[in-house]
Amino acid sequence: MIEIRGLRKKFGNVEAVRDVSFSARDGTVVGLLGPNGAGKTTTLRMLSGLMRPDAGTIHADNIDVIADPIGAQSHMGLLPDSRGLYPRLTPMEHIEYFGRLHGLDGAVLTDRAKALITRLDLGQSADRRVSGFSHGEQTKVALARALVHQPRNVILDEPTNGLDVMSTRAVRDLIRGLRKDGCCVLFSSHIMQEVSALCDRIVVIAQGRVVADGTPDELRRQTGHESLEDAFVALSGLAEAVS
Amino acid sequence: MNELRQIWIVFSKESRDGLRDRRSIRTVVLTAALMPLMFGGMFTVMASRGKSAEEIKLPVAGVENAPAFVDWLKQQTGVTIVAAPADPEKAVRDRDEDVVLIIEKDFEKNLARALPAPVKLVSDSTRDSARRKVERTRSLVTTYSSEMAALRLIARGVAPPVALPVRIEEVEVSSAQERLATELNILTLLLVIAALTGGMQVAIDATAGERERGSLEPLLLNPVSRMALAAGKWLAATAFSCAAVIFSLLLTVNVLRRVPWEDLGIRFSVSDADLMSLLALVIPLAFLLSAVVVFASTFARSFKEAQGYIGMLILLPMLPGVVSTLYPLSNRRWLAPFPILGQYALAADVLGGHPPEIGYYILGGVTALACAIVLLILTSRLLKKEAIIFGRS
Repeated sequence: MIEIRGLRKKFGNVEAVRDVSFSARDGTVVGLLGPNGAGKTTTLRMLSGLMRPDAGTIHADNIDVIADPIGAQSHMGLLPDSRGLYPRLTPMEHIEYFGRLHGLDGAVLTDRAKALITRLDLGQSADRRVSGFSHGEQTKVALARALVHQPRNVILDEPTNGLDVMSTRAVRDLIRGLRKDGCCVLFSSHIMQEVSALCDRIVVIAQGRVVADGTPDELRRQTGHESLEDAFVALSGLAEAVS
Repeated sequence: MNELRQIWIVFSKESRDGLRDRRSIRTVVLTAALMPLMFGGMFTVMASRGKSAEEIKLPVAGVENAPAFVDWLKQQTGVTIVAAPADPEKAVRDRDEDVVLIIEKDFEKNLARALPAPVKLVSDSTRDSARRKVERTRSLVTTYSSEMAALRLIARGVAPPVALPVRIEEVEVSSAQERLATELNILTLLLVIAALTGGMQVAIDATAGERERGSLEPLLLNPVSRMALAAGKWLAATAFSCAAVIFSLLLTVNVLRRVPWEDLGIRFSVSDADLMSLLALVIPLAFLLSAVVVFASTFARSFKEAQGYIGMLILLPMLPGVVSTLYPLSNRRWLAPFPILGQYALAADVLGGHPPEIGYYILGGVTALACAIVLLILTSRLLKKEAIIFGRS
């Protein structure tokens, strides 16, 4: 469960996030949709506890993220914008490193790491060093290490960005699986098909503001457009008119 | 979860990562091996020069002008008289000869009349390597001169001491071991360099490298305090730094034990106890210098940028080492609480054969560690700054 109210963030004179409020319940997939530069990544960074908002509140499972970022991080699994890996470590070692930092160890950790390797189809390269991995493989490793502590809230910043068909499919299957497990999944994207294929609810952000929040059907109805893409364009344009 | 366990997790990961990094192994081996070999070679050359001053081949021009003097020269131990080149000044200028002694025509005649007998000593004072040989030649001539003076006085019924109103008796307070110690301060310098550079690669990789790869943000998403992260990275760098120090010390001592010190008139004796004392001094510095590198390279967005910062930093621990060759730091134990300077001072005493009391080691070690911890706290604060977490090159 994630709840964001009245979030604001300014960088110098640029208001990256002006007013963002939304919530994501357990067992649902919420898509954070918006054009490039709309404030998606900044919002997710504040949600992760690494960036302090100028105003607003953030709660993950009723923990105040701003007051207790480390406590909240145990309840969240985050795939951030930057997915840097350690070129000399294997996928297994990446997952184990993050698992240990979450307090896991021994057989539990090994089992979970192996399960994630299988789930993300990384079996063949599990014990190879990651330098030279394809973009898709790297993203999968980054995903696996973010999920090793089995967080109830999963936050993914453009998870399928730059992935091939097979990898995209694996990530989508993972997201569906997480929803089935009762997790709260929030992911950002600027790709229509992805959002419409996966999300129970869509939050559209443009120019730092939430311009629409509802089920795909609600958004279509709200804008009067049959296709979600047209709806999205209409909503983004709306934001420009408002500002 | 307790902080210590987190520090251990970060430490193990960074150490494993460092061991797999060829560059980090290479820096440890290179800094630890190259310098000792270089200095070993330097001392060997010095020793062979010392030897060449004792057994000199002295080119003498005008041998026929002073047969008695030349005979006397030949009788001196280690002196061989050889024929002088046709143009002595040119030969010295061209470095064909270190020194040439020219006996003038009037030598015998002036000697007989009790007038100063002229000789010329041709040398080049800018040539350091020839200095000992020139001095030896000069002292041969003055010795002959005073022997002749004594004979003349006796012939005139005067006791030679009458012509010697003041006699200098030289009392050398520094032992040969202490004189060697000033040279050996270079050993301390080597160890300090090893302490700085040994862990450098790992420290940069774990900080600036982490930012460059974009792996810092994911790492900070784990519920771990920044202090534990900084400490784990610092300790991993320190481990490499210590390995470099120990490796460098063993290698240097083995090289130095092979230098022919006898030729310099000194006995090289650095005992195993001295080696342990040196380690006890330099190991705390490894902790401090690694903390310095970790802190400085956390500012850097990339590996290259960090190397730029460290390039400037490398002067910091070297400066006292260079100063100590000009102003010996021995017997300045009050410097102990000042990191780096204190270690140089105490090490000079260890090498000089007067090991300081254990309290000084503790004082030096504790202040070095305290400074390291301050730097660690500053590093952990940097890791909270958004500009550091998200600012990528």
